[in-house]
Amino acid sequence: MPGSVAETAAKLASKRKRPENGDQSKKRRKSGGGEEDTELHIAKLESEILESKKHYNNLATLINLSEKLDENITTALAAAEALCRSFIRLLAQGNLVKKRDASEKDATVTTWLRERLAEYQAALCSMLHREESAIRALILAMALLKAEAQHLDDRDEWTFPRSFFLGIVAAVIQSPVDHLRDEFMEKFVDQYDDIRYYTLQGIKEFLDDQDQASDDQVRDIVFDLLLEIEDVPGSSEDIDEFYIDPPTKKKHPLYSLSQHKKQAQGAWLSLMQLGLSKQQRKKVLEVMATSIAPWFTKPELLMDFLTDCYNAGGSVSLLALSGVFYLIQERNLDYPLFYTKLYSLLDADMLHSKYRSRFFRLLDTFLGSSHLPAVLVASFIKRFSRLALNAPPSAIVAIVPWFYNIFKKHPLCTFMMHRVPRTQEERDLLEKEGLSDPFLSDEQDPMETRAIDSCIWEIVQLQSHYHPNVATIAKIVSEQFTKQSYGLEDFLDHSYGSLLEAEMSKEVKKPPVVEFMIPKKIFSRADPTADEKDNLLASLWDFSS
Amino acid sequence: MAGSQLKRLKASLKEQGIIGPQQSKKQKRQTFQDQKANPDKRLKKSEALEGIREQFNPFQFKTNARGPKFEVTTLKNANDRAAKGISGRPGLAKAAGEEKRRQTLLVEMQRRNKVGGLIDRRFGENDPNMTLEDKMIERFTREQQRSHKKNTMFDLEEDDEPVEALTHGGKEIFFGDEVDKLRDDFDEEMSSSGDDSDDSHAARKKLKRFRMEHGEDGELAEVDGEPERKKTKNEVYTEIIAKSKLHKYERQAAKEEDDELRADLDKALPELQSLLFQRSRAQPQAVGDGKAPVIIAGVEKTVLDKEYDIRVKQLAVDKRAHPADRTKSAEEKLSEEAKRLKEMEEKRLRRMRGEVVSDDEEDDEMAGGHTKSDPRIAGAGNVHASRREMIYGGDEEEDEYGLGKGIKLRPTATELGFDDEDDFLIDDDLVAGDSELDLDSDDFEGENEDSSEQGSDSDGDDDEFTKGLLTEAESRDAVFHVPVERKGEDKDGIPYTFPCPQTHEELVKTFESVDVTKLPVVVQRIRALYHPKLDSGNKERLGNFSQALVRHIAFLGENLEPHWFPTLEGLIRHVHSLAKTFPIEVAKGYRACLVEMSEQRPLALTGGDLILLTGIGTTFPTSDHFHQVVTPAILVIGRYLGQKLPQTLADYSTGTYLSILALQYQQLSKRYVPELVNFCLNTLCALAPEKPREPLGFFPLHDPPAGARLKSATKTPLRKLTLADCQPSHVAALPPAALASLRASLLNTTVSLLQAAATLWHSHAAFPETFSPFARVLAHLAAPPVAAHLPPALVVNIRDAASDLSTHLQRARRARRPLELHHHRPLAVRTYVPKFEDSYDPTKHYDPDRERADAAKLRAEHKKERKGAMRELRKDAAFVARETLRVKKDKDAAYEKKYRRLVAEIQGTEGQAANEYAREKAARQKKKNKW
Repeated sequence: MPGSVAETAAKLASKRKRPENGDQSKKRRKSGGGEEDTELHIAKLESEILESKKHYNNLATLINLSEKLDENITTALAAAEALCRSFIRLLAQGNLVKKRDASEKDATVTTWLRERLAEYQAALCSMLHREESAIRALILAMALLKAEAQHLDDRDEWTFPRSFFLGIVAAVIQSPVDHLRDEFMEKFVDQYDDIRYYTLQGIKEFLDDQDQASDDQVRDIVFDLLLEIEDVPGSSEDIDEFYIDPPTKKKHPLYSLSQHKKQAQGAWLSLMQLGLSKQQRKKVLEVMATSIAPWFTKPELLMDFLTDCYNAGGSVSLLALSGVFYLIQERNLDYPLFYTKLYSLLDADMLHSKYRSRFFRLLDTFLGSSHLPAVLVASFIKRFSRLALNAPPSAIVAIVPWFYNIFKKHPLCTFMMHRVPRTQEERDLLEKEGLSDPFLSDEQDPMETRAIDSCIWEIVQLQSHYHPNVATIAKIVSEQFTKQSYGLEDFLDHSYGSLLEAEMSKEVKKPPVVEFMIPKKIFSRADPTADEKDNLLASLWDFSS
Repeated sequence: MAGSQLKRLKASLKEQGIIGPQQSKKQKRQTFQDQKANPDKRLKKSEALEGIREQFNPFQFKTNARGPKFEVTTLKNANDRAAKGISGRPGLAKAAGEEKRRQTLLVEMQRRNKVGGLIDRRFGENDPNMTLEDKMIERFTREQQRSHKKNTMFDLEEDDEPVEALTHGGKEIFFGDEVDKLRDDFDEEMSSSGDDSDDSHAARKKLKRFRMEHGEDGELAEVDGEPERKKTKNEVYTEIIAKSKLHKYERQAAKEEDDELRADLDKALPELQSLLFQRSRAQPQAVGDGKAPVIIAGVEKTVLDKEYDIRVKQLAVDKRAHPADRTKSAEEKLSEEAKRLKEMEEKRLRRMRGEVVSDDEEDDEMAGGHTKSDPRIAGAGNVHASRREMIYGGDEEEDEYGLGKGIKLRPTATELGFDDEDDFLIDDDLVAGDSELDLDSDDFEGENEDSSEQGSDSDGDDDEFTKGLLTEAESRDAVFHVPVERKGEDKDGIPYTFPCPQTHEELVKTFESVDVTKLPVVVQRIRALYHPKLDSGNKERLGNFSQALVRHIAFLGENLEPHWFPTLEGLIRHVHSLAKTFPIEVAKGYRACLVEMSEQRPLALTGGDLILLTGIGTTFPTSDHFHQVVTPAILVIGRYLGQKLPQTLADYSTGTYLSILALQYQQLSKRYVPELVNFCLNTLCALAPEKPREPLGFFPLHDPPAGARLKSATKTPLRKLTLADCQPSHVAALPPAALASLRASLLNTTVSLLQAAATLWHSHAAFPETFSPFARVLAHLAAPPVAAHLPPALVVNIRDAASDLSTHLQRARRARRPLELHHHRPLAVRTYVPKFEDSYDPTKHYDPDRERADAAKLRAEHKKERKGAMRELRKDAAFVARETLRVKKDKDAAYEKKYRRLVAEIQGTEGQAANEYAREKAARQKKKNKW
């Protein structure tokens, strides 16, 4: 087994080496054969180490070589590979294990070797920061990690070389090499459950170390890393992929799903405790319900974060809504005055927001219950119709079919569309004084807005919207309600761009109608002597030369 | 009729006189004599016996279980069997079926597992009723007929007479159709002896067909009453021949008659012609034509035909053939014009309401009547879709709400360089700021007279565009077909001839040498040179030219010089006039520009775009509910107004221009443009000297760029905005005082614009809600601390606008009523009460669903057929079993017989031997005894 590990490491290394051979040979020619010597030298040193204990000092030489990254990267890499092979073999032979009955001399050797190993590991971690060497160093480090886990301890107990792995994780996070992280995630974290477990642990510890994590960029990186760890295992049975031979003890935390989740939760929490920028917050909130909350064993821990975000106002509130809803739904979170808060979200910017359709989907859920008081629902309808007066067409298009569905569900609200004055006095009063809208737009409480006594004149006005489709859709409120309901999804994702595209994608086949009269004046002002009227443009704008 | 069966039998026999009291010898003799003299009586007797037998066999008839139907309830006639309650004769049917099986199945059974053999199918060979001579005659006639048939493919009379077929016993000899009849016996032989299974299958088929014909199970057709008397062959043939001759003769007669008539007409033609052309052609032609009929059938026929054709064409073209319009009086002309205008206006209104408008008058009526009820019946989306389909010319996939597919992926929006909605992304790089084409204003010096000419030009109607175009007479002149040969220039140095530019690049190249202000002249010349009447290819050329011209307008707009406006106006009007002839091309040109705008610079529209949008507004009817060009154009405007977050004063100017344009688009239709209100209110708030403290309404308020506010500008003069104010480079170069003036002017223009908007939209349902924010903004602007910063003229304007608005608001409040949108006629509940059938037949099914009824019918038929087939098969099986049993019995009996015979024989021999032995023994005994 140790042999095979060493072989794989060697193979991996050689694989990596092959494409670079060309470069190396070129360089070699330039440098005049000096490099070849070092390579031979390294090979010699390596074989000597294997031969006898006497040559253990070669390790120190090699480590020195491998640390000289800046001077000669190929040599350093070659040395690192040689070291990896040597150490794996040494580990397999048990030379690094402290034996109880060993002589003092042996113990000294072991301690020395251990020190060298630590040095080598540090060298590998520093290699991870270099663009050229990062991927190879990662592979070497992981191979070494495996060997170390298997052989470093003579006891039968299962161990994981945590400190070394922590170093790797920290180096990966801090490394400027982007594809190193991708590689790490793809090859190890996504594949192996134990690596994921310890990575999460590593991230948490890394973040808890305050002075490291203060950097904003690092936070971004960690955030991306955590986001990428997506698939939550369904049950404890799903945890069956291990990089290192799995522990024999069945009760080991590695086997428990809740432990895994706990690690993820810890990582996320420590990230959030660092305080996020607004952009990061938005990002977190966007994926909250789908990828973050499932990792949490105690989603209640998110409660404060979410409530804070929800109260922040603006688009952050809109985004936090889905998280809050998740908590309400899954964790029975009691959010006092939920609807009042929801109502307050409907501000002037809501319909112009990027997250409009997202919000609508949620709102459709919230107001979907037919048990809500009609007064409350009417407030929402009225507020929306007020907002629609200043909304882009794509928002109006989404609102009106939603109204339709709501009216269907709450027939009491249909008085907003059709209210016949009943008594003669009422009619007389209307005739004499007209009517002012009873709706109180500044009222915060949706139960007190008196919207139910109002009418949706706004939507009637939108029936003469400049865009023909919007106008047609707005007309559905004044037609007979024969349809069961409208599928909201058809209306949600529109924008100016998509509306324009819909118009432009059609070919003109029928000759368009052309204005019959060719206007005499377009830019110039009308002749004051003639009995003509200026057009609006000419009267408000100056086109004179 | 009481009593036992026997008694009744006796009684009925007695009644018929078959039995009776014993007769004396004399009586007997007499009856014998009678019978001899009248053999009928005997026949009668047997008939009577038959009747009695039938009557006394209860199983002879299948009767209706409930007895015969009452007369009142059945339509069938009283003598019918059915009326008597007899629905079939099972005995007879069974016998017939048995007989048939014996003939087919049994034969088949017997032939099973046997190979070869001959079937004698010679005609009448097995018919004992035919004499040898008869058979020979029949065979001969059949052969004759068969050979005769082949030649009668084109025989006209064939269908008229009944097909003479060979019959036997009143039935056709061949069961099958023509094909069977024509097939050679040999073929049949081959196929039937081909393989056994196939053979049996065919036989069964045949059997079935036979049964179908005779309605086997139910009623066996009575085999009675042969057809009266068959005509002999001879009679038949003579009849046929006579008939065909008569037909032939009639046809010939008819044809001759036609020929005569035609000849008469031909003779009379010259006279007719001379009458027709009396005026145009004088005597000599009449004489010449007079000769023509003489040799009409001769050589000159082709010449004559040609002449005739020419004449006909001349007649068709001749103006005098049509009645001339009466010269109209001035009032009539006026009223006609008024009527035409009214019609146009009606059409426009209909388009504005989004109803179907077609060009034909009749369609018009129909469409009008139809669309009145349309929106009420169909759902909103559907109406819309159909209308849209109509406008775009059909054949598009159904898009129910006409909104398109929506945003497919987020990236598409971002890829284009703008994000959706509130993230207002400003892409200044997209603004094509640098202008390559620098105009030297020196050129302009000498052109004053021309521009004045242009000015006078514009007084005319669209005649001016065709003025100078060639007249029809000229177009015939060959000179005009050779276009670009003469190189001449007029006094302004503009050549008279140009190549017709097909693309914008070509156009730019062509117009390079010409001063911009002279362009309308050039365009006019090009239009004259390439008038569609001059050459067939010109239509396409001018179409392309108009597209290029549209683009050129935008191109000129990019590098605008203030003195170009008359030119641009002229060009736009040229495009308008071209659009009347080439609506599709011009629309395409405009739409291409719009696509470019929306894809490349949705939030950074340039001066050219503004000019182009203005052009669209005048060229196409902006009041239409939907228009292929106007709708995208207003969307482009709306998008800019809705999404642009102004960063510079130029952006505000551009937005203001677009707002004015949007409002002008809606002058007639009064449609509401939310973006306009948003933008204008934002502009007011952004440029106001101070930020309003409390929120003013539900419009989204953006923070203005730093230093945008107008501060302490009491001395600043107000002016009108110009297009130069929309150019960022121009605005950036302005001195601070000019900037302040620009701000004040922006404020002023926006206020008057919103005032105009309020006047336009004052009748809308939500007018108070829409414009109360404006009132609040105005109040904010007119408030003392703010107004102190503004020029007094502006403050006056603001106060005017505020008071104007407040009256509007008050009026709107008084006019407001609660909504009563749903005074619909209640929808009828769908009923499924069956329709009353006048002649209801309970055996029929009256399923209103056609398809279901058909399916049910088919299913019933299938079931019936299946039952019948199963029954037949069962009977066949029983028959086969019976037959095999019979065969076995026969075989057994034969065996038994043989066995007995052998036993008897042996016994006989044995007995004989025993006897012999006994005899011998006895003899021996005797002998012994003797001894």
